[in-house]
Amino acid sequence: MRDILREPLMMHRGGGGGGTPPSGGRTFSYITSPTSLSTSMNGSETMANGSSISTWYFSNGGGFNGDRTVPSPVIEANEGTTVQVTLNVSMMSIPHTIHFHGLDVDQQNDGVGATSFEVNGGQSYTYTFLAPHAGTYHYHCHVDTVLHYEMGMYGTVIIRPPNGSTSVAWSGGPAFDKEYLWQLHTFDSSWHTGGGGNTSGTNTTRYRPDYFMINGRDGNNLNADSTVAISAGAGQKVLVRGVHSGYQPAMVKMGGLVFDVIASDGRPLPAAISATEWLMAPGERYDILLTMPASGQRTATVDYYDIRRGSVLGTASTTITVV
Amino acid sequence: MQRREFLKSGLMGSTAFAVSGLTAMTPKTAQAATVNVNMTAESTFKTLINGASIFVWQFKQSGGSGSGPGTLTSGLVVNEGDTVNVTVTNNLDRAINFVVPGITGTTPSVSPGNSRNYSFTASSAGSYFYTDTVNGEIGKAMGLAGPLVVNASGNRLYSGGPTFDRQYTLALNELDDRLNNAIYNGQSYSMANYEPNYFFVNGMSYPDTSNDADTVIAMNTGEDVAIRFINTGCITNPQHFHGYHVNIASRNRTPETAMGEKDTVLVNLDECVDVILPVAQSGVYPLHTHYVPGVTANGTYANGSLIIMSAA
Repeated sequence: MRDILREPLMMHRGGGGGGTPPSGGRTFSYITSPTSLSTSMNGSETMANGSSISTWYFSNGGGFNGDRTVPSPVIEANEGTTVQVTLNVSMMSIPHTIHFHGLDVDQQNDGVGATSFEVNGGQSYTYTFLAPHAGTYHYHCHVDTVLHYEMGMYGTVIIRPPNGSTSVAWSGGPAFDKEYLWQLHTFDSSWHTGGGGNTSGTNTTRYRPDYFMINGRDGNNLNADSTVAISAGAGQKVLVRGVHSGYQPAMVKMGGLVFDVIASDGRPLPAAISATEWLMAPGERYDILLTMPASGQRTATVDYYDIRRGSVLGTASTTITVV
Repeated sequence: MQRREFLKSGLMGSTAFAVSGLTAMTPKTAQAATVNVNMTAESTFKTLINGASIFVWQFKQSGGSGSGPGTLTSGLVVNEGDTVNVTVTNNLDRAINFVVPGITGTTPSVSPGNSRNYSFTASSAGSYFYTDTVNGEIGKAMGLAGPLVVNASGNRLYSGGPTFDRQYTLALNELDDRLNNAIYNGQSYSMANYEPNYFFVNGMSYPDTSNDADTVIAMNTGEDVAIRFINTGCITNPQHFHGYHVNIASRNRTPETAMGEKDTVLVNLDECVDVILPVAQSGVYPLHTHYVPGVTANGTYANGSLIIMSAA
């Protein structure tokens, strides 16, 4: 049987799906407001060990960077502008929403069924809000969230300064030469087998992730992914926008390099904090400014902890290379 | 839970003030008082949101409800400078003690069937919790913990600290029913295997949280609302605010100055985090852990650690 829901993605794979190709210092493609996202519950990703994992996602002719289902596309807008994102839920689908996490939207546009409404199969809704302070934000489905979010229905919103600059973090903020986006996520593969009839319940009782990702990639695939592996010239300033879209605390290290934490949750810190490791909790965003060393290669790591922070459950690692 | 229900509960907001027993917003008098509290440590069966009946332990204040998981937390509220005498009667099958981290240090234990007085001076305003430490973390995991609020004068979180128009206390805990069942059966349980499957705010799961006047954050646009997150459980809790950014005022009573406004605030193990929420818009919004499995009851969403904020 033809998989109609997946067809738009397949058609655009490698062909610019998922929006505008990387430009400025970006290392990822993006879509801009006004835009639309369609839902799919028929995605799949091949993990580093060769296993195929089923995914649910939002798509605009493709998911993140146009070449994967999970995460979903990056949405960009300029501070102070009105953002419009139309959600199109597939025919016959269970309901979905978009919650714009951290964007402090009004109740009607918050994407929570209990306080507003869900968007049913075959229906559309245009979420509308004012773009807040320039920074890094998040979005995800807020229907049966524990399952829909874990399955892959999440992405990042980047708010640029009012003038649209892609070389400063915010008006008057730090400048950067290159920009990465690290979206942290894990899969518990037992949640992806279709058991439980696409609803949370006894099949989602205890979360035991076995895949540890950045931008939907894991294991050795992380070194080959141009949106993850950091590559820049000596002395260049690299902005790494960290978005924790997983469920457990994660420790980010840049291979021993000292970096500056400059912002969190879409707001500048009162003063940049120098660090060699930084703990990110689920739902948090931290913007990290890394000055590339003179030469060499390092291994950056994201250690995912259990919720008691008693042990590391798994690690996503990638390279930092001076070119 | 229908939308109408918590819209309605939001309307009662102007009178709702804080956790029951935590109300105590009487202005501090110049004369420090002596507060006498009787507590019983006991076991009981609690019916949880999905009907499950779970064996728990709790500190139960006389005239109040218990502290255990699935129980509305009564907690303690005193004023800065008060002398607090807590008499604990131990009706459990093993020794326990009563400790307030940050105030009492280690305390002697009280054996089964006996009572002991634990006395301390609440010399420094802020958010605390009390717990048993004799049984390691098992005491807390079974429910032997509750919030303690030491109010400063003048509606401030602490002397010289930020002011607020109203305040709420949110005690966060959870349970792993396998641990509770093991304890009930006289077995031991390693906290290394602790994977909770029920999650509570002030002893309740959603939607019960949205029908409790002390747990619905009812507020008015333009106000500054103090929210005290008190971790009485055994996991980390990343608390996400829909609709708002907040300022972290303090962590374990140490002022926080490194962060700007946040929409997600991590409450670590053994930590009390006080935040100030400037109510920048009206509406009804959730406040919940972004450890999203914590918003479930034995896997079922959204019967977990989620509360409702309602701003007129």
